[in-house]
Amino acid sequence: MELIGSGIGALLESPVFLAAPPWENPDLFGEQIVAGLATGSIYALMALAIVLIYRSTDVLNFAQGEMAMFGAFAMWSLWLAGLEPWQIIIIGVMLAAGIGAVIERLAIRPTQGAPQLNVVVVTLGLFILLNSVATWVWAQGDLPKVFPSPLSTTASVDIGIARITEHRILILGVGLSIMVALFALFNYTKLGLAMRATAQNRLASQLMGINVGRMLTLGWALSAAVGGLAGLLIAPITFLHPGFMFSVLIFAFAAAVLGGLNSPPGAVVGGFIIGVGENLLGTYTPQDILGTEMKLPLILLLLVIVLLVRPTGLFGQPEARRV
Amino acid sequence: MSIGLFMLLMVGAAVAVRFAPFLPERLRIPVSLAVLLGFLIWAPFTLDGFRTFQMTRITVWVIVIMGLNILTGYNGQISLGHGALVAVGAYTAAILMDSTEQISFVDANPWPFWSTIIVAGGLTAILGLLLGIPALRLSGPYLAIATLALVISLPSIIRKYDGFTGGGIGIRVGRTQPPGFLDGILNLDEWLYFLALFTAVLMLLLAWGILRGPLGRAFMAVRDSEVAAAAMGIDVARTKVTAFTISAFYAGVAGGLFTQVNGTITPESISIVESINFLVAIVIGGLASMMGSVIGAAAIIFLPTEGPELVGQIPYLQTDVVERAPGAIQGFLVILVMLLMPRGLAGFAHRLAALRPAAVVEGLRATPGRLRSRVEDARGGLFSLWDARPWNRQKPSHPDRPDGGEGG
Repeated sequence: MELIGSGIGALLESPVFLAAPPWENPDLFGEQIVAGLATGSIYALMALAIVLIYRSTDVLNFAQGEMAMFGAFAMWSLWLAGLEPWQIIIIGVMLAAGIGAVIERLAIRPTQGAPQLNVVVVTLGLFILLNSVATWVWAQGDLPKVFPSPLSTTASVDIGIARITEHRILILGVGLSIMVALFALFNYTKLGLAMRATAQNRLASQLMGINVGRMLTLGWALSAAVGGLAGLLIAPITFLHPGFMFSVLIFAFAAAVLGGLNSPPGAVVGGFIIGVGENLLGTYTPQDILGTEMKLPLILLLLVIVLLVRPTGLFGQPEARRV
Repeated sequence: MSIGLFMLLMVGAAVAVRFAPFLPERLRIPVSLAVLLGFLIWAPFTLDGFRTFQMTRITVWVIVIMGLNILTGYNGQISLGHGALVAVGAYTAAILMDSTEQISFVDANPWPFWSTIIVAGGLTAILGLLLGIPALRLSGPYLAIATLALVISLPSIIRKYDGFTGGGIGIRVGRTQPPGFLDGILNLDEWLYFLALFTAVLMLLLAWGILRGPLGRAFMAVRDSEVAAAAMGIDVARTKVTAFTISAFYAGVAGGLFTQVNGTITPESISIVESINFLVAIVIGGLASMMGSVIGAAAIIFLPTEGPELVGQIPYLQTDVVERAPGAIQGFLVILVMLLMPRGLAGFAHRLAALRPAAVVEGLRATPGRLRSRVEDARGGLFSLWDARPWNRQKPSHPDRPDGGEGG
């Protein structure tokens, strides 16, 4: 009897999880949750950018991450030239909006009327193009490059349940306020109403006197600005290299699909779920059979399971189609 | 012979035969395809080793891309995860051919190469069947992301469970040697090329047989309207799962072939880049087109290397861009093809083939007048010539109609 008892004891003592379970080390648990929420707000912003474009043009924009990466590298140059970190965030967002508008006019608008896969391939072409140009212009010498933040990335603050770095608080704050601002834009302004109308029915909006072309350009600019901001906020943590937005893009796609591709609130919820889930799975997985490297497959497996139960995501509406 | 000259000769000869006035209409297409095949058989004897290997890679990718085109082009299910299916086929063949005890859980005797290709195809087809059933619930972008999840996860899984996948190092089996009776006739590169060419021709013939028959019609009916297809008595679910299975079979066969040709397989051999490239290939080649699949495969191999080189030969162009950012040219070319040829390269070729000399002359005659009216339009402002002022000119569009209201 005693032998069995000690056997179970040994089994419990040997580390099943990578870290101590939450009930033994609540601080670590809280830290993981808060840090997950901060990363989650980055994913949520990127997912919002993807959803904005998907709703208005029915296209998954694969170049979203590279547009943000390009802007971040350009801002890195300005930082070297002597601008303050908060200044480069403002200029960077404006530059990203410009890039988005130009891309919509030059590459996306001419494909109107073509099959949707064509537009997807155009965004894949943009992906290769932007990545290659950024590598050519900026990715020389030591990589990755350090990127500045207006707040410290090392000093941390105690917020009751956990300690969190100042920069992550900035991410959470900016992320949440952008989400609120977008919600207000779409629900309480005439411009937002016009953009929603354009996304819903182009012909009807045009007949109502909405300038559909300008709304589409504006939609791309807005989406690129939101995505660009996400890039500028995560760059101080991940550092800059030409591929730094790719994993963010994958998680953002997962978040957007999880929430439902035509639902902005869904994108936000999806982003936070993926962000927190990523941290928890990385910390509390059974060490032997799974481990940290299985974090990504597990998250994606979760996504596929949710999709099988709800094929258009948690909040997405199935598209009604006339037969 | 240089690859450019070879391609020019091959395409030129095939096109010449296609429009040869002395051949009866009925014979032109088969004969021009035979000419094409003749050139492809001649290829390894006139091209150098590197080009032969490049042609071998194209031929292997033709099989995958044909399979993906059956799924996406003909049946309308978008998959970004075909790289994962190819990897499964490649690993199956590698495990069967491996002679070290710890990996080959079946037995330590390597299987003959041809049997591993068949088993790879069959096993991947079963996997495709298992994937096709849940895929029934997903549509469009949701299916695309779910399949993308598959190809992103696979390398981590392979690395983690290294018991019979060899982990990060992969499996090394050596390139398949030519059988004895070909000694002194073909060297290794040529033999692998012909192995790939033979398989690809077989698979293309199979695809031709499937697509022109009732099953192919059912694929397209389901793609165009599931409700209408069901009303005609087509079992929609079964048709979609069948398309997935056939497509996976193609990917598996190509994967098996990939192992024979490369002699080694690692988690990175077939990554997300290849997976996305397959989709790019069917779209810039031409959706729902067999010729498009072949052209698309050649395009994704040649675009990253030959494309920038060709562009670099344009005088006055800064060669710095071409040398240090070849991807910029590649991306630009992909976008350009999409903007100029919405139906892909094959669709463009079809349109060229359908042109009648009289119509061309008529079009040329009308050009000056059209240009003049364009210029007159532009008098209001220089920019409206290329429609940069959206508030000034707007074409009415019909979002409900797939052609945007342009098709009359």
